[in-house]
Amino acid sequence: MSVNNYFEEEEFSAQFNGKTLRRILGLTAPHWKWVAGFLISILIVSGLDAVFTYISKLVIDQGILAADRARIYELLGMYAGLLVVQALFVLCFIYLVGILGERIRYDLRQKMFNHLQNLSLSYFSRTPVGWIMSRVTSDSDRVADLVTWGILDSTWAVMNILTSMIFMFVINWKLALIVLIILPILLVIAVEFRKRILVQFRNVRKFNSKITGAYNENITGVRVVKALGREGENMREFGGLTQEMYRSGYRAAWLSALFLPTVQLVSAFAVGAVIWYGGLQAQLGGISAGGIHAFVSYITFMMWPIQDLARVYAEIQHAIASAERMFSLIDTVPEVADRENAADPGSIYGDIEFDHVSFWYEDESQPVLKDFSLKVKRGETIALVGPTGGGKTTTVNLLARFYEPRSGAIRIGGQDYTSFSLHSIQSRIGIVLQTPHLFSGTIRENLRYGRLDSTDAEIEEAARLVGAHDFIMKYPKGYDEPVGESGNLLSVGQKQLISLARAVLARPEIFIMDEATSSVDTLTEALIQRGMQAIMQKCTSFVVAHRLSTIKRADRILVIEDGHISEMGSHNELLRLRGKYYQLYTRQFREQMTQTLDVFQSSPAQEALPAD
Amino acid sequence: MSVSSSVLNYDLKNAISKNRLLGLWRLMHGFQWKYIIATVSIGFAAVAKTCTYLLLRYFVDNAFTEGGTSINLPLIALGFILLAGAEGGFTFLSGRFAAQTAEGVTRRLRNYLFDHIQHLSFTYHSQTDTGELIQRSTSDVDALRRFYADQAIGAGRIFLLFVVNFVALLSLNVTLGLVSVIIVPLMFYVSILFFRRISKAYESYQEQEATLSTTLQENLTGVRVVKAFARQQFEMDKFERDNFEKFNRGKKLLTMHSLFWPISDTLCGFQMVGGFLLASIMAVNGQITVGTYLAYVGLVVWIIFPIRGLGRMIVQMSTGMVSYNRVMEIIRQEREPLDEGDYTPAAGTLRGDLEFQNVSFAYEDNPTQKVLDDITFACQRGQVVALLGSTGSGKTSLVNLLPRFYDYTAGSLLLDGVELRRYTRRFLRSQIGIVEQEPFLFSRTIRENITYGVGREVSEEEIVAAAQAAAVHDVILTFPQAYNTLVGEKGVTLSGGQKQRVAIARTILKNPRILILDDSTSSVDTETEGEIRQALQSLMQDRTTFVIAHRIQSIMNADLILVMDDGRIVQRGRHEDLLAQDGIYRQIFNIQTRIEDELEKEIASVSE
Repeated sequence: MSVNNYFEEEEFSAQFNGKTLRRILGLTAPHWKWVAGFLISILIVSGLDAVFTYISKLVIDQGILAADRARIYELLGMYAGLLVVQALFVLCFIYLVGILGERIRYDLRQKMFNHLQNLSLSYFSRTPVGWIMSRVTSDSDRVADLVTWGILDSTWAVMNILTSMIFMFVINWKLALIVLIILPILLVIAVEFRKRILVQFRNVRKFNSKITGAYNENITGVRVVKALGREGENMREFGGLTQEMYRSGYRAAWLSALFLPTVQLVSAFAVGAVIWYGGLQAQLGGISAGGIHAFVSYITFMMWPIQDLARVYAEIQHAIASAERMFSLIDTVPEVADRENAADPGSIYGDIEFDHVSFWYEDESQPVLKDFSLKVKRGETIALVGPTGGGKTTTVNLLARFYEPRSGAIRIGGQDYTSFSLHSIQSRIGIVLQTPHLFSGTIRENLRYGRLDSTDAEIEEAARLVGAHDFIMKYPKGYDEPVGESGNLLSVGQKQLISLARAVLARPEIFIMDEATSSVDTLTEALIQRGMQAIMQKCTSFVVAHRLSTIKRADRILVIEDGHISEMGSHNELLRLRGKYYQLYTRQFREQMTQTLDVFQSSPAQEALPAD
Repeated sequence: MSVSSSVLNYDLKNAISKNRLLGLWRLMHGFQWKYIIATVSIGFAAVAKTCTYLLLRYFVDNAFTEGGTSINLPLIALGFILLAGAEGGFTFLSGRFAAQTAEGVTRRLRNYLFDHIQHLSFTYHSQTDTGELIQRSTSDVDALRRFYADQAIGAGRIFLLFVVNFVALLSLNVTLGLVSVIIVPLMFYVSILFFRRISKAYESYQEQEATLSTTLQENLTGVRVVKAFARQQFEMDKFERDNFEKFNRGKKLLTMHSLFWPISDTLCGFQMVGGFLLASIMAVNGQITVGTYLAYVGLVVWIIFPIRGLGRMIVQMSTGMVSYNRVMEIIRQEREPLDEGDYTPAAGTLRGDLEFQNVSFAYEDNPTQKVLDDITFACQRGQVVALLGSTGSGKTSLVNLLPRFYDYTAGSLLLDGVELRRYTRRFLRSQIGIVEQEPFLFSRTIRENITYGVGREVSEEEIVAAAQAAAVHDVILTFPQAYNTLVGEKGVTLSGGQKQRVAIARTILKNPRILILDDSTSSVDTETEGEIRQALQSLMQDRTTFVIAHRIQSIMNADLILVMDDGRIVQRGRHEDLLAQDGIYRQIFNIQTRIEDELEKEIASVSE
């Protein structure tokens, strides 16, 4: 179950990992000018904040108390001027830090995405899609935020506290010492609060996704719920969930509500002390009215930088956990990759040989293919049949070099195919999957996926060849009709036809088809058959076959069971054997004929049994 | 923290209102006082804050003028602490009550929606998009929570802060007070204008994020296609385009932010400097004291800057109101009354004899199109009725009448001689077991799926016995955690046949009087087919069984076969009777014999 644990969302890194932190900070290295830019801007902005308070003090002491109007004009004129300067730097830092954040987000996502393209199929079969998605989306967000806004906020906070302290020391060092004592207390309180609030929010998120899950299940399964009359118990279960949600939501809000008042109260002690001591000093001339004003302001507004520091500090741990997961993705080494000096053979239309190939996915003790040997002449059509899990799909996955043999070799045209580059093999293979996969976009874009430089005329020709043209033209926008997310606006049969036409366009030298088990209507079925034939004429073909006509048309049929070939030969030969193939075939025959001849179907019985 | 059950079980239908603000107010039923206290507390907190500055005025005016020794310094210092305590206390109180309200209201809303949705009719569910329902129950409810927790109270806070401080300013000096708020209407207007645009820009940014996610997801789920066509570079370019578009939209959003904040900073800053100027000159002229000046400088900050945030609150509140409408649209729907009906037979006495007399059925939205037309037949306990017909011929509609998923629109349907409408839906559903072609299983453990909806404590032995009878026990034992294995994404994926057998086990435990079976074994291989058939046979004993049939072999022994077409019964009788008639039934049968003939011919042709 370690695999499952690995995919559990861990919010915290187990320990504070300096190496990861350095690597995170390293992300900003290429953009150091931007970082320098926003750091300088924020230093100026926060410095000016302290200066403003000091000017205010001067207005009181040198202007009002001295009854010096000119000085007041001068000081406030300076104040106004500096306001404009500060505004300009505010503009700079928001722009710089924000866009740098977007930029780093962009870089991280692109880097992960590009890396994912090179990872092997094995990675995707053991890693849930949702897990990868969170890495690319939310983790990159969190890390990008840390290296931009996180750095900015903490710099601002430190600078703000620092300059305020300096001015306070300048005004009256004894009073400043009082504030200096309060400061660490405030920080500790703030950090502790933040940590607890974060934990509560984590709980809220957790329950929130559970609640969404409960809705999802109850709504999609509403018919079963009704049929079984389980409304009451479901409601009780859900009530427990919302009760938990209420608790953690309330607690998070409660803590947040307590946080600022606490910080304020503690700083009020500092204000009280300053007033008390300052009041005593006032008589001695140790501090002016302006000085008191400055101290009260500095202390009152100090809670913001402290809050920010605490927030960033609490978030660092989360960001490090995010970064660790993200880096683990980026650092994954593809299992199937080009060897050194991998070459492009120019063509892979040649004899294919599986030479004592063995393969297992995770566990060596559970091999999927065992000592599998097979020789295929170029141009041959091979049908693979047999029970699910017998090794049919693995065989074609190995051929397409989605995986490589653990032992033994696969040779194309006499050469071990690992000496070829992956691209040289995969760009010459056409694959049609059992569940056709289309991409959002138009029909034309999906077809062009087969060959990017194909002309519209070629696309149409391919569609005609597989008989997809007619249904495409029935759409209002024809080839420019959008297919919806994952092609969901099309029927399964239509998706199959389009993926066939897509394979036709690729002009493959090896054609691999995993036939769909789900039934499509008779007409579409006939079209699919025609399309397959069109492709198979010009290449070496491997078909994981379910349809009788496909099986019968193959040059050779392989019955694959338990990772090896248990029967091999032509249709007639195998039927005569009265073995596995015979059983399989008769069952398939009954099933398919029942379907074909179903009186209830719209185009029923008059159609005779397949001629061949 | 305990909430009375009358508040928890408040019927939210009462909160339906054309006036959205009124509706949002009513949605708070039971929490309204808390919310008022929360708001009033904020007012008190604002007053405490203002008093701090007035105390400062007193302190400065007395401490820094001659003869100021009369003041009691420790008392003033204590005053500052107490005022901060009061401000903090009220702020906390307000946050607490607002949280209780927001969390309490959403909790009730979530519960209500959940229960409401599972009680809505079949008609509603078949017409409504699942994703849309989930979206409204989650995102929109959360938008409402934020409305109560942050936005409404936040806007109230800014407003009260403004009012209290403004009154304080006026009390310091009327002219000064009036001059200090010149910018406020402009600032308010600018911030609303700005946040409207920024919320649009933000939406478009989020939309692109969704697009990017789709691209990513399609790439991940279609990884074999990408590799098969060696389209890695193409995919990288495609992702880059979407990613870059997102970058651009983010840039636009940030540009707006980077303009708004400095501009509003400058506006507010100039207003402040202007105020300082007037106030300091007044102080020099002796119109106000130095202490008053100090208090003024402190107070004015709390009046000008928060106004910037008011625009954001108000814009966000409008999204909360949109969510209110979307949620209320669900709540407005009528529930299916589970307990409507006046007849409940004594426990265990239901026989299960059924009689259809000229029953017809049409959907509400299309009353002229009869889905079932003039159905008449009868069957007794222990009998098997088979329904044969094409998709849309009315087989499923017919069996859907039995648990009253839909009510028949004409004719009479008697169960044990009593009109079906007189039985409550709850009772009927407890007496009817349904085994679908590919049953829906929940993402729970196998055990929970087997006992799902049984409605009583079930012992381990019973579960195992049911699983054995359903021929699924052995399969379950091969799973990593046997009966505790999770079904679905996080656990095992069951094949269609395995799901069906789990559903059979579930039905065995439920022990219903009437059984509805969707008989399709196309997704099952031969060996399990026999086991399932056997499991079904034992299940059918002593119950009234309806079989939705796809093939003749499975219904040859049925007591009554109904051949349906276009909502009508076109042929009826036992297998032998129907074979003797000229009609669809014999046609189907002939085809099946023909298949066997063909098969034999074919095999003979190769085995010379």
